[in-house]
Amino acid sequence: MADTLQLPATLDALGPIRAFVDAAASAAGLDHKASYRLRLAVDEIATNVITHGYEEAGLRGDLELQAWRNGETLTIILEDDAVPFDPTTLAEPDDLGTPLEERAVGGLGVFLTVHGVDEFRYERVARRNRNIFVMHRQGADDG
Amino acid sequence: MTVTDRVEQGVTIVAIEGELDGKSAPEAQQAIVPLVPADGKLLIDMHGVPYMSSAGLRMMLLLYRQAVAKGSVVALVGLSEEIEDTMSATGFLDFFTVVGSVASGIELLNA
Repeated sequence: MADTLQLPATLDALGPIRAFVDAAASAAGLDHKASYRLRLAVDEIATNVITHGYEEAGLRGDLELQAWRNGETLTIILEDDAVPFDPTTLAEPDDLGTPLEERAVGGLGVFLTVHGVDEFRYERVARRNRNIFVMHRQGADDG
Repeated sequence: MTVTDRVEQGVTIVAIEGELDGKSAPEAQQAIVPLVPADGKLLIDMHGVPYMSSAGLRMMLLLYRQAVAKGSVVALVGLSEEIEDTMSATGFLDFFTVVGSVASGIELLNA
């Protein structure tokens, strides 16, 4: 059994998406920081899908979220039918120590996602993008 | 998300209330850019911001550049632990002056 949420892919969806993830994290007993990092990760990827996958491509569609819980993990699955994009292929920003005057803007969202969750995966399934976020329920604040 | 501003002892204090995400951070940026003083002092009060995504980092980066271009100095106050973690992981914390209270921010910017 999974909890699900489906809503139009606009920036107005971000608040409800975070609320959905927050509820799933609470139900899974994640601590405050782990819950925050999971919210941030899903929000970052959803923002990219909405702005780059749908809006900039002139497309409209939905985002679909699922929350799966077992004894060890909480898994959030985010699916869309926007432009195919695998965030794990994005190079890590290499200017994190560069003064702000010279910093590039962008790439930080995926960086925060990858470093914020215990596991992040991407799959292309049935012409849909599937982003998978996994948090361990034991020792959820390990990293 | 709301933005309010006031001036105390020559320091422009801009207080943000609400979550900063891909929708609200550009709105906050639009509201704050006109408030950045020239040759002045800017204190951004984040006590009312419980959540900030990378869209907020982008906002901070652009505000910082705007302030530097106008010859002003910037400090931040009221960062939640999680927002401080985000800024630390991305190297932002090293480049911003962060203070513990509005009073100490005013003192520091006027020093």
